[in-house]
Order: sequence, then C-alpha cells, then structure tokens
Amino acid sequence: MTTTISLATRTSAPTLKRSPSPWMRIALRTLRNIPALIGFLLIVAFFFTALFANFLAPYSYDKQDLDNIEKPPSAQHWLGTDSLGRDMLSRLIYGARSSAFVVLLVTVVNLALGIPLGAAAGYFGGWLENLIMRTTEILFAFPGLLFTFLIAATIRPAVLDWARSNGFADLARSGYLDYAVVIIALGFVGWAGLARFVRGQVLTVKEREYVIGARSIGVPTWRVIGRHILPNALAPIIVALSMGMGFIALSEGYLSYLGIGLQPPNPSWGNIAAENFGRYWRTFPQFLWLVFIPGLILTLIVLAFAFFGDALNEALDPELVD
Amino acid sequence: MGTLLEVKDLRTEFHTQDGVVHAVNGVTFAVDEGETLGLVGESGCGKSVSVLSVMRLIPQPPGKIAGGQVLFQGRDLLTVDDEEIRSVRGNKIAMVFQDPMTSLNPVLTIDTQIGESLELHLGMTKEQARKRSVELLKMVGIPEAEGRIEDYPHQFSGGMRQRVMIAMALSCTPQLLIADEPTTALDVTILAQIIDIVKRLKRELGMAIIWITHDLGVIAGLADRINVMYAGFIIETAPVKEIFGNPLHPYTLGLLGSIPRLDETRKEKLTPIEGLPPDLVTMPTGCPFYDRCRFRTEKCLHENPPLEVSAVRHSVACWNWQDVVKARGRA
Amino acid sequence: MATTMTHNGTLVEVRGLKKYFPITQGIIIQRKVDDVKAVDGLDFSIQRGETLGLVGESGCGKSTTGRTILQLYRPTEGEVFFEGKDLARLKGEELRRMRRHMQMIFQDPYASLNPRMTVGDIIGEPLEVHNIAKGKEKKEQVQELLQVVGLNPYFVNRYPHEFSGGQRQRIGIARALAVRPDFIVCDEPISALDVSIQAQIINLLEELQEKFHLTYLFIAHDLSVVRHISDRIAVMYLGKIVELTDRTALYQNPLHPYTKALLSAIPIPDPIIEEKRERIILTGDVPSPVHPPSGCRFHTRCPLAIDICKRVDPEFREVGAQHWVACHVV
Repeated sequence: MTTTISLATRTSAPTLKRSPSPWMRIALRTLRNIPALIGFLLIVAFFFTALFANFLAPYSYDKQDLDNIEKPPSAQHWLGTDSLGRDMLSRLIYGARSSAFVVLLVTVVNLALGIPLGAAAGYFGGWLENLIMRTTEILFAFPGLLFTFLIAATIRPAVLDWARSNGFADLARSGYLDYAVVIIALGFVGWAGLARFVRGQVLTVKEREYVIGARSIGVPTWRVIGRHILPNALAPIIVALSMGMGFIALSEGYLSYLGIGLQPPNPSWGNIAAENFGRYWRTFPQFLWLVFIPGLILTLIVLAFAFFGDALNEALDPELVD
Repeated sequence: MGTLLEVKDLRTEFHTQDGVVHAVNGVTFAVDEGETLGLVGESGCGKSVSVLSVMRLIPQPPGKIAGGQVLFQGRDLLTVDDEEIRSVRGNKIAMVFQDPMTSLNPVLTIDTQIGESLELHLGMTKEQARKRSVELLKMVGIPEAEGRIEDYPHQFSGGMRQRVMIAMALSCTPQLLIADEPTTALDVTILAQIIDIVKRLKRELGMAIIWITHDLGVIAGLADRINVMYAGFIIETAPVKEIFGNPLHPYTLGLLGSIPRLDETRKEKLTPIEGLPPDLVTMPTGCPFYDRCRFRTEKCLHENPPLEVSAVRHSVACWNWQDVVKARGRA
Repeated sequence: MATTMTHNGTLVEVRGLKKYFPITQGIIIQRKVDDVKAVDGLDFSIQRGETLGLVGESGCGKSTTGRTILQLYRPTEGEVFFEGKDLARLKGEELRRMRRHMQMIFQDPYASLNPRMTVGDIIGEPLEVHNIAKGKEKKEQVQELLQVVGLNPYFVNRYPHEFSGGQRQRIGIARALAVRPDFIVCDEPISALDVSIQAQIINLLEELQEKFHLTYLFIAHDLSVVRHISDRIAVMYLGKIVELTDRTALYQNPLHPYTKALLSAIPIPDPIIEEKRERIILTGDVPSPVHPPSGCRFHTRCPLAIDICKRVDPEFREVGAQHWVACHVV
C-alpha cells in the first residue's frame, strides 16, 4: 500500500512541520487586501489611542486653561480650546477611550447574550427556539436606533434617581453611570441581531456531514457544539462582530450628541461635536471644524471596521486556496 | 465520409493566482461527419476545456486559448469574428451540458427557451417556432408535449430536463452535437432512457457527436471512436472496439482495470492506478503519467512521448506500448 | 461467498424499520401536514463478516437506511438489533458508548471532514472520546492508522484542504477504523471520486475487511460496484427492499422486474457485449416518497403490472434459498 505516498516523488519530501492553521492563513489573506490593511491599521490606532490616552494627550480631558478660552490652534493647544478653556486635542484623544470602552463592552454584552441564545435556538430548536426568535423579532419591530434612543432616554433619569436616593450620589455625579446607560441601551438591542445570525450559522453547520460524522463516532453533544459547530460557525460571526463594532461606535456618537449618552465633562466624540455645534455655529465660525473632526473620525472608524470585516469575510472561505 | 471538425495542436491555459494552469496541451483530433467520438478522462484532464475552446466558450480571462486551429467545415473558428462564431454556436454546433438544472433559465418557459434559437438562427415566426418546439419535445420522448410546452423548468424532473436540453440542442438540426457529461447527474434507469434517445436520434438525423464522459461503460455502447485524455494530452485514440480490446497506453489499461464489471463472474481484485494525476501548474517535463506508470523507464522521465500511429487508426503516446502488449499477453 | 456467511451468526438485524421525515407548515405553531416516507418497513439482517450491498436510485431511502441503523436518525418505527441489543431503545450515554462498535464512512470526502481540525485531531478524536488513547499513545495510533489506509504518517499535522478527494476518503476511513469497530456503514464511499481513485478505495476497503474482520453495509447507486464488493445485495425502490439475494443469484436469476430493469440499464464497458444487449427501458420517473403509489410502489413503471399490483402491497417473501422478493408476479 504505497499508493498516494508516491505523490511525494516530484513534490518536496513530507515533513512533520505543522501546516499554518486555518486562522493564520485567514489573517494573512485578509491583510493582503489593501483597504483591509488600512482598516486594520486604523482599528489598531483607535484601540492604541484609547489604551494610552493618558500618555498621548498633552492635557487632561477636563483641565481648564482659563487664560486660553475659545482660542484658535496654537503651539500650546494644537487644536485650540473650547469655551471652558479645555484642550480640544486632549478631549478628542480621550474621546477614543470612551468610544473604545463602549464598543468593547457592548460587544461583550452582545456576545454573552447573542452566542449562547443563538446557538441554543439553532441546535436544540423547538419551543426554546420559538421563544428566543420571537423575542428578537419583537426587538426588530422597532427601528433600531430610535429604540436605542428611547431606552437611553427612559432609563437614564431612572438610573440616576435611583443612584442619588441610594447613597451613590458621587457615582451619579461622576458620569460613570452614563456609560452604563449607553451600554445597556446598545446591548439590549444589539444582541438580537447577533443571536439571529448565530442561529442561522449553527443551523447550516449542524447539517454538515462532518457534524454527523462527529456524532457517528460518538462525540458527546457539548463537544460536537464546541469543537465541530462553533469553530466553523465562528468565522462569519467574527465578520458580523467586526462590522457591528463600527456601528456601535457610531451609535454611541449619536446618543452622546443628542445628550442622552455620555455627558460632559466626560469626553465623547458625540458630545464634543454637540457642544461646539451649539455654541459656536454663528459667532465663531473657526470652531466649525471642531464639529467635523469628531464626525470624520467616527466615519473613518466605521469604514475601517467595514473594510476589514469585508476582507475577512472573503478570506474566511475555507475552500479558498492561497 | 468527410471530415467535419479538425482540431490542430489546441492549447488552452488558465492564468490564476497560483500560476498558469496548463489545461489543454496541444490536442489534435478530427471528427468525421456522422461519427460519434468519445472523449474519455478523469476530472481535470482537459476534456471539457478542449471542447469549450472549440466553441470559444472559455471565460477569458482567466482562460486563454494559447494556440492551435479549430477547422470547422474548413474555417478556423478561433479566428472568425464574434458575429460568425455566434452563428455557428447553437446552430451548426450545439451543446448539452452536465447539469440540466443550471443550464435552463428558471424564469422562462420551455417554449420561450427552445423558440429563442429557432427565431434567432432560422428566422422563424413565433407560431412556427412553437410548432417546431412541440415536434422537438415529441422527438426526445416527452409525453403530452403540447401541454407541457408552456411549463417552467422546475416543473420537469431531472431526466425530463435533460431531454429538454437535448431538444434545444437539436432545434436547428446541428451537424455536430457536443455532449458534456450529460448523463452524470442522472439515475441509471433514466440514463438508459437518454442513451436510447440519443442513439435513435443519431440514426435518424445523422449528426456527428462528441460525447465527453468519465464513464467507460456509457461510451462503450455509444461511440465509434475514443480519445483518452490525461493531464491535457490525448494519450490514446482508436476505434471503440480497439480501445477496449487492445488498449496500448498504460493509463487506458489502468482505467479498464479500475472499474468493476457488472458481468464479472468471480470476485476479482481490481487493479487500480496508484497515485494522483500531476499538478497542471508545475507540469513535469517528461511523460505526465510517469509517476503512476508501471511501465516507466528512464526515457519517460525526460521526454514526453508524442501521439504516434501504432496500428491502423490507432495512435498512442507511450514509449513502451509494446511492453504493455506483452504484459497484457501474460495476464 | 454465499457459503461463508451462514455459520458466522447475525451481527445486525433490522425489523420493520421505518423512518418518516415530517413536512411541517407554519412558523409559530408548526403543524405536520405530511411525511416523506424515506424508509417504509425494512426487514433484513447482516451476518458477521459479510458485506451487504444496498443499491437503489437517488431518493430510494438507501442513505437514510444506513443513518437510521446507526441511530444518527432515530427510527419512526421498528427495531435495530446489534449483537442482540435494540439500538432504537438506547439513549444518551449508552448509545454513545455503542458507537465504538459501529462506524460510518461518508460519501463526500470534502464535506465529511472538519476543515478546522488537523488530520491528527480528526483521526484522534474517536480515540479520545472513547478513552482509548491519549497523548503520545494517541499520536502513535493515529500514525499507525494513517499507514494502514495508505497515507504518509507524516501528514498528521496537515489540514483536510491540503489533500485530494481520494486521500480525504482515506482519512475518513482511518477515522472510522480508529475505534476498531465491528460494523461499518459505507455510504456511497466512492461516488464522489474519479474512476482510477475509486478502485484504490474499493481495494482498500476489501483489504481492511479481511485484516480487521469487518462487517460492511455498502450503500451505492452503482450496481456494478455493489456487486463487486458485496456478498449479498438488497435492491431498494422508494423506501422498500424489493429483492434480496446473493451476488450471483442477483445477476443470474433476478426476479423482481425492477432488478431486471436496473441490471439491463447498467452499461458494460465492452463494446462487443453492448452491441448485442437488449435493454428494458423503464418509462417515467421515480414517484415522490411523500405520496407513494398505492399497492406495489413500482406498479406505475412496471412492464408486468397486473390489476392486483395497484391495490395490494406485495409481501416480502422468501422464494428460494436465501432469495427474497416482493412481487405479485413472481
């Protein structure tokens, strides 16, 4: 039985060398795509800025320089100052931290709810699937963003009142509860999409022959789900998550812009735009770009995630040969 | 009978990310009027690509016809303009594909799809085309043809759809019918029906057929002559009885030894061809079958044998075909 | 061949096996509107050490039969005895442990291997989940299995996409062999492969059967292949077995008109024989298994059908030594 080994006669001799794992190949294939690479670098820069904001920013986000109020850009304040004398560059850099914090936590909430609920609905079916899927449909019946606004606007006063009357007045004042409100509002709506997506993926993969094959050799159910279904369903889920992150960043921007998200002095690209938009529109036209820069950054972040996710999607086709 | 189609030194390649795939590597053959030629080989041997090249239906890019001539009734189809090739396709040369599901347009009725080429090539009116369509459906054995002419493809079963495909291909009474694995997707009792129909039509209409298949059983009862292809080369060509009775190429011999026969009396061991076909990107310099060949010699590693006449109407591309004959005699 | 099977004893016995797939309508409240009667009452047994071939056209229920025997689909009705134990009654952990003794080889070598696992992990998994071997020992066994199926043992760290169809099928065979099963269901194991590779796999399966004393249920649509590898053959049509006998009798003395038509439809790779052969060409297509014809299911296409065939389903009875057939006309 020498058979197929003769394959080696003209190709190189076989070695015990581990082939690059599918994930490695996917990473390489994704980054070979130029827009995806640019997107990836932007995403890295975004999280890097968020993580090291306190080292990168020349001032603190709430430090007031009362000698320099509403000043145009200078060597001291590269992007100028606002009406309270705060350094705009520092506020924008700290804005990345707020944004990344919300993006990551909302994603965690989405994952924690969406993957188990979606996987359970897909794998087990029956009444469980009915319950979960009908719930997501109810959530979907409302226009997504509007629903988020509604939740944020409704629970924010309630949460703050509760905190104040229960001895957490400091916490209420610190603005940290605003983060919680934004994360709850976005997470509450966001998991539904992910759950539906995960369910669809699990349904497809569940019927693949290798899953039946795994069952036929006696692999226990939990291991069938964990080793055979989820890893193969994960690829498109990661794409959906990547695309979703851009959307979360944008939604946080909207909420904060409308005043129902993060509140100043805590910096958010949304509230920076709102503050400057409201105050300086007519009398201080030089501040107009303070509205546009946060918007531009948000747009770039959304595009970066979209391009990256798109290339990832292409690269994830397991049949693709390098 | 005269020669209908003459293919000379045809070369087709595909330019992919991995490099140039040499799909067809200098193929020369001819089809006489009224003759049925079987093109036999395994997946990736270039049998489909070579006939698609004849019809200039290779997607370009990534495909590219790198050389050769395709003489149909004396004119080189590779050099005529697009207008002219369109007047040949579906009219003088017609094709039937493997998958009758995807080759029919699901949103058009059968009537519209058959009528299209009748109106286009023969200039028939709607009324005439319809009448002719019913005739064609009857000819391929579709029951209640009048009633079914306005049905959509999904209303037909797989076997019936393949009949519709054949009816469409025959609509302009072509001189050459190219059938690209038309029975592969069909069940065996349906396959028998289709082969029965094709044999009858061939007798009645007298057209030439190129039948592409990997199934030696199907082709044994159908073809007059057979070309065996491997790695983009024709490695043996002979009349059908000669191929089965006197195979000269080690690959042909191997193929015949690989298939169990329904009429075998004792359980005999099959003699498979070991190994795998070569990679068409990094084509070896010598004989493409070298790695898997029982009869290989030093010469085979360095020189690719040309297709040379070994007997009357029988050609083989092998340096050691005489050894094959001897080995067969011993067995 | 027919003689070797009698004194070995029965390994698998199938009684009144049915598998219906419900067709449902409605989203919130699902109600069953009908059934696809994929397998509709099968009785047969498989002897230890033999190969039983199961042949039929697409949609006849042959693959469903294989999967239902292995309890990958739970039967709607009927019993499957494996070494005397009714598999249809086993559940959960008990059934999972039984899987050690019965394995499956799949049709599509591209779909049946997890693309995100290495060959070593794929073949090693059954060893692990049945606590047969771990760590270094597992690795050694995997390499040995690779060698047994004719693959280079150095391939352990590669992924399925790096292999050709025939090689992948060998990996699938190695996975099935890993737990040293008694019984393997081969579900069209060569249909997706090229001709020259098919013979390699057939020979491999034959060699392994001899070496490991395996019992096969060999499912395929190609009667020449089934006849080559099987000792006995069951012919299926629309969810039922219409004829069951040994390989010689099936070819020399077929009794059911469907078997006859099937035999005559299969081309023989010999132009001289083909020239003289008379074919029985069946008319029409296989009817839908949702509403199978009344009486004998084959009567709509049968050249010999008489009045009773439309009304009464023929009994599956023994008409000669070990020769079973379901037909009124025989």
